[in-house]
Amino acid sequence: MEKRTDSPYPRRDRPVLAGIGVVLVVSTVLFAWADRRHDWRYYQLEFKRLVGEKLGADKAKAVPSGIQQVWVPGLGRADRCQTCHQAVSWKGFESAEEPFRTHPTAPLQNHPVEKFGCTACHGGQGWAVDTDEAHGQIAHWEEPLLGPALGEQYSLAGDKGALVQMNCNVCHRYDRETKGADAINLAKKLVQEKGCRACHRINGRGGTIGPDLTSVGEKAPEQYEYGRLSGQKTAFAWHVAHFKDPRALVADTVMPNFHLSTLDAQALAMLVLSWRKAPVPAEYAPGTPRSDPQTAEEAEQERQMKTGPGAWFVKTGCFVCHSISALGVKSPAQIGPDLSTAVEDTQSRFGRTVDDFLAAPTGTMAVVLSRQIVLSPAQKAEAVQKLREAFAEHQRQKAEAEKAGARAGAAGGGH
Amino acid sequence: MSVPATTAKEKASAPGVHPRPLWSVRPSSDREAGDAVVSNFLLHWFPAKVAKASLDWGYSYWLGTVSAALLLLLVLSGGPLLFLYIPSVERAYASVKDIEHVVAFGSWIRSVHRLSAHLMVAAVFLHLVRVFLTGAYKNGTGRGQRREWNWVIGIAMLLATLFLSFTGYLLPWDQLAYWAVTVGTNIASSVPFVGPSLRELLLGGRTIDQPTLIRFYVLHVIVLPGALGALLVYHMWRVRKDGGLARADREALLAEKTAVPPTPTKTYTLLGVARGTGPTVRASTLEAPATTVNAVPDLVRRAAIVVLGTMAVISMLAVAVRSPLEEPANPLVTPNPAKAPWYFLWLQEIVTDTTVRIGSFTLNGAFLGGVLLPGLLLLVLTAWPWLDRSPAAAAGRWLPRSRRRQNTLFLAFCLMVVVLTLVGTFGRGPYWHFYWPWQERPEIPARI
Repeated sequence: MEKRTDSPYPRRDRPVLAGIGVVLVVSTVLFAWADRRHDWRYYQLEFKRLVGEKLGADKAKAVPSGIQQVWVPGLGRADRCQTCHQAVSWKGFESAEEPFRTHPTAPLQNHPVEKFGCTACHGGQGWAVDTDEAHGQIAHWEEPLLGPALGEQYSLAGDKGALVQMNCNVCHRYDRETKGADAINLAKKLVQEKGCRACHRINGRGGTIGPDLTSVGEKAPEQYEYGRLSGQKTAFAWHVAHFKDPRALVADTVMPNFHLSTLDAQALAMLVLSWRKAPVPAEYAPGTPRSDPQTAEEAEQERQMKTGPGAWFVKTGCFVCHSISALGVKSPAQIGPDLSTAVEDTQSRFGRTVDDFLAAPTGTMAVVLSRQIVLSPAQKAEAVQKLREAFAEHQRQKAEAEKAGARAGAAGGGH
Repeated sequence: MSVPATTAKEKASAPGVHPRPLWSVRPSSDREAGDAVVSNFLLHWFPAKVAKASLDWGYSYWLGTVSAALLLLLVLSGGPLLFLYIPSVERAYASVKDIEHVVAFGSWIRSVHRLSAHLMVAAVFLHLVRVFLTGAYKNGTGRGQRREWNWVIGIAMLLATLFLSFTGYLLPWDQLAYWAVTVGTNIASSVPFVGPSLRELLLGGRTIDQPTLIRFYVLHVIVLPGALGALLVYHMWRVRKDGGLARADREALLAEKTAVPPTPTKTYTLLGVARGTGPTVRASTLEAPATTVNAVPDLVRRAAIVVLGTMAVISMLAVAVRSPLEEPANPLVTPNPAKAPWYFLWLQEIVTDTTVRIGSFTLNGAFLGGVLLPGLLLLVLTAWPWLDRSPAAAAGRWLPRSRRRQNTLFLAFCLMVVVLTLVGTFGRGPYWHFYWPWQERPEIPARI
């Protein structure tokens, strides 16, 4: 039999191949270990121990193990939060530390976990099973857990856990008031009081001077201008700062400064961010209103303003900032002077006649009349005419009041 | 009429008949070593004998084998992903989240797949660079050599690799995917005349949506892997038919011509791959037995080192480097900046650098940087074996003097590609502004 050709390679290559073999074994151990290593394994053991201590070994045996998931097809969510938060539906852990705490029962009565999952209300990343990723405070996840920790980061003035109410309002946006959502309720009250709808469309109703806010919560964080915002660069922080002082963020805005408190500004920021497009399946919100109609009282008020003697000022949009009290027009924002006395005011404030001022306005009015309310010369003439009428009416009312006062005084003196 | 009786022993020793069902990793003779190549399906693409020079680590750096190993890893890791991934706009993102978080070894499998894909682009490119710099597309002494065509096949394989990677990019249906494909297909649409139709054909419409996803999916899991597999088989067949690496030819060219009388026991059928006695057999094996070794086990062992080593490295990298998954695709929000996949970033860089704005007039660089330049480069690169006039002796060695000019030109081109890729990948920040690594970039805002 012929021999084998000599080769230098076995001596050189066999140790290398053996080394590679060792590395392969190590890498296999490594990836198997990396796949097994999860915090939830520890939490499950710990919860089992707690249940054993508190409720006995039999109950401890009933604690499920492995990844736990609520699959909610209607909302497209698979929430694995209960993999660590196993105590959610166990009675007796009301005062335990998270993740071993029982969920308060009141909200769950109308919102059973099996139907709503967890993240629809609480935010966070339901897909994930590791703490940081599940709580969603990581890059590329836009719905962080809306818990007290995040409220602490924003130094919320009121309840630190209030951020979660943003998600309440995704379904409850048409409620006038939602039980348990105090911050949102406060903000909704402010929207009525401050007359936001004078300029902004909200839920399909309102003015057109400012942007439509119906789904402003969808606006991506990249689409805000942060140039003049100090501190955290988030849409929420932007809205809080903007509510407190609009002009500080947007130099040429005509949105008035309402001098809101931190509590109010934060509540309003929560409200506007909750105005999202998220379609809510009908079966998820039985009994909650599905649109935002005016109450009869509000409709009547609006009708009176639109058809009364001050209708022109309402139609043109002046009433947004100015009341015209002589004509029964009440401004929701009341940031400009009452126009009943404009004829006098322009003289005393600017030393100009009202015709002259409207032809070449200065200050805020220069901005408003060049952008929001653009009037033709004919319309300006009409405006002067209407302002004179309002002033005449004002003087008539004043004279009448004086006369009435004098009469009352005379009558009083008679006694 | 009598048939000569043949004993069992005679049968067993006849050429092409192999009594042992398994081949030996420790053949006791050259004959047994050669048998392995014939009796084992997986080993049949190896020659019986291989030039020692071809086995050198420092000649080929085994980049072709590394590429093939990465392809193997991609197929192996792609298998389970096929069962787990759902190619639907509504569910693709969620299925990737599931793979990432709850599927056993899912995150690792996905990382193996992604890293192998990225590294395969790099390995195939480096393989091409090696082949160019060693002039390995040049024919040597053997008959029937067509190395220039294997170079062309190689370029086709590079393109297939790039498009495999590009089509895989879209599948997770996240922001990264959506906008990288937007940039890529917009560049494609600047081809004159047919561009918009080409884009529409790729996307299955005018926006990236479900028709795009299913097209990219089918391309990614059936069409392109099939094409690459077929090309790979042909590439390897040609390597055998051309007598192995150009290096082996060179050895034969330089070897002293000491004729060794053919011994009747040495028959290498080569499975009919080569006509007559194949070039390797004649040039290197029979005439210079001192320069060759048995493919089994020496070549097989080295191939195993490279393939298993690649697997080990990728496996460990995949534990350390998690695959990113950005926000779900959102056509309304463009990330700033929107970048093409990294291996196309040198093109995107040229596109943006050649986009000139004079007042309201814009000269679109997409045609120059995205179509004309890469098209011409590809054409020249493909035709290079026919343009290269250097002597045959310049083949099979690194940076020979006679090819100095073309190698310099090629290296300059490679350097440009690498630099532009690095600039695009690491240097470009928001608004495509350039940032040095130590420069602070604007904070990326979050919602809450």
